[in-house]
Amino acid sequence: MFNNIHALIDSFEQQKYIADEELGTILFLMLQLGKPVLLEGNPGVGKTEVANVLSKVLDTELIRLQCYEGLDVHSTIYEWNYQKQLLSIKIQEQSEKSDEEKEEHIFGSEFLLKRPLLKAITASEKPPVLLIDEIDRADEEFEAFLLELLSAFQISIPEMGTVQASHRPWVILTSNRTRELGDALKRRCLYHWVNFPSLEKEMEIIQKHLPNMEVSLVNRMVKLVQYLRTQKLDKAPGIAESLDWARGLLALGFADLDEAGIEKSLGCLLKSVDDIQRVKSTGIQQLLTEIEA
Amino acid sequence: MRFARFNGLNVGIQESKEAVLAADSGLLEDKTQFRYGLKSLFCCEPDEGELFDQLYEQFWGNERGQLSGTTTYQNQSNIQKKAPASLVMMGSGKTEPNEEGEEARNVSGANETERIRKTDFSKLNAIDSQMLEELALKLFQQMSKRIKRKMKNSTKQGRVDLRQTIRNSLSHGGDPIELHRRKQVPKKQRLIILLDVSGSMDKYSFFLLRFIWSLRAHFETVEAFIFSTSLIRITDYLDAKDLEWTLTVLSMKANNWSSGTQIGDCFRTFNEQYAKQVLAGRSTTIILSDGLDTGEPEDLATELNKIKRRTRKLIWLNPLKGMQGYEPIQRGMAAALPELDVFQSAHNLNSLLELERYLEEV
Repeated sequence: MFNNIHALIDSFEQQKYIADEELGTILFLMLQLGKPVLLEGNPGVGKTEVANVLSKVLDTELIRLQCYEGLDVHSTIYEWNYQKQLLSIKIQEQSEKSDEEKEEHIFGSEFLLKRPLLKAITASEKPPVLLIDEIDRADEEFEAFLLELLSAFQISIPEMGTVQASHRPWVILTSNRTRELGDALKRRCLYHWVNFPSLEKEMEIIQKHLPNMEVSLVNRMVKLVQYLRTQKLDKAPGIAESLDWARGLLALGFADLDEAGIEKSLGCLLKSVDDIQRVKSTGIQQLLTEIEA
Repeated sequence: MRFARFNGLNVGIQESKEAVLAADSGLLEDKTQFRYGLKSLFCCEPDEGELFDQLYEQFWGNERGQLSGTTTYQNQSNIQKKAPASLVMMGSGKTEPNEEGEEARNVSGANETERIRKTDFSKLNAIDSQMLEELALKLFQQMSKRIKRKMKNSTKQGRVDLRQTIRNSLSHGGDPIELHRRKQVPKKQRLIILLDVSGSMDKYSFFLLRFIWSLRAHFETVEAFIFSTSLIRITDYLDAKDLEWTLTVLSMKANNWSSGTQIGDCFRTFNEQYAKQVLAGRSTTIILSDGLDTGEPEDLATELNKIKRRTRKLIWLNPLKGMQGYEPIQRGMAAALPELDVFQSAHNLNSLLELERYLEEV
């Protein structure tokens, strides 16, 4: 796989993801120890993207489980395809088979609908990347269930028996901290808090994605974004937003930042009416002088 | 590792083992990388990350100074005692029997328990309040048990609905090809309580806090805050088994107890610091306050509207509403009214117990 951390960081960079040494170290450790990684941080700092890129770097499947309140264990592991089972019983009614044979057939794997977690465990070729996104949105029960799965990597299906993971998936959990996660879960994971990037790093990220953009424009843009992050806003712009904005500015054909351009494209960056009004009332010209200072 | 453990990081045998494994996998060669690796193993929170950095410096670096950090376990000395607040909290700051008290005593045709349930908290004398306390605790516990039971029942939905399944199967010649299920009701509900502990609420806050405490004992997800001139999260303190202990700690913690009220400002703090965390999902917010605000009513309305948008139901319990002839005309309360789903009184036991009606629908 990777001999050292820099090799890992380099291959991330080839996929346009700028990982710092700390994140690189943690991912390297994950591959060495086989432990899940828990990434916490503000929305839009690129937590989910880590899993995306990791799957590309390792050239393996990405299985994604988006958590939400009320998510139950069944919809994440497996369900039986009732309709198909019943139709199959209907078809078999005419056959010569004994009742036992018919019954055995009904709970065969062809009637099993695999949901993300079972899929991740039964992947046959190589370990997939399992992304459990926004785990803080799921209920405590689900979190508790994950504990078992993440330590034993097996799932029991009453009708079929226990399914043991053929390959341990690489697990990445993300959380926006809308709820405090249990200590037990945290202790099973390598923990990393993802910060907003520095000016240089954010510029590098945008240049990786949009190599045609003028350096001076990128610089002023990122400065403004970073300034906005220090202000009191309902939703601070993340990296995804600054990328959106950069694309928006390019699409609108702006070669430099000016008042009119910012006003037109502010919706790419700020995602709340209050924030937009707040920025407009402060005065965009004021903003521009602020970042020049 | 022992060093980290003794200084407050949660480092167990498992972590030690993994640290050795990590070192073995080549991390030792680079000091920074080794440090990052250990950090991810030993820390579970951003705060712990900071502590780790300090510890690491201290252990491996040249500095051998004392820890300068503001680690949480040293905060105890910061707690300021405030005598009047503690007295109120411990239940000794009661009113002497007076005319109004006598008036309350003479509710005709009711037995002792009934009478106490109907008596305004502010009109209690010392003997009565003792009785009320016992009664309240008992009733609150019954109430929260009932609510819990109802909530449990509601989670059982989502099972197969046989009747409907058979009906649906008619079109398939009587074979139940499609199973009809009852609608799944989301189970977990959050209860968020904001209690006003300003001076004007002195007579009430003591009982209301007990009320919150008993709810907390039976609900899993109750978040509680107290506010007057500033806002304090008290959820963690409600956890203790012993109510008296909780009350003592709280009265020490709240150094702005019994002071003025700036509801708008406190709600802003709530929105900025906690709303995202505690109001996620389906939540019910209860505000216990008399609405006597010294801040700007517009602020209160704006902040309340923000809470309203994040919560499923917004309940305001106002002890003054129990008074005859009370109208919510103070500036603060009038500004708040349009945002509320439920506006109720909270001046005696009965009115608090009525809350059950709203909580069970939660």
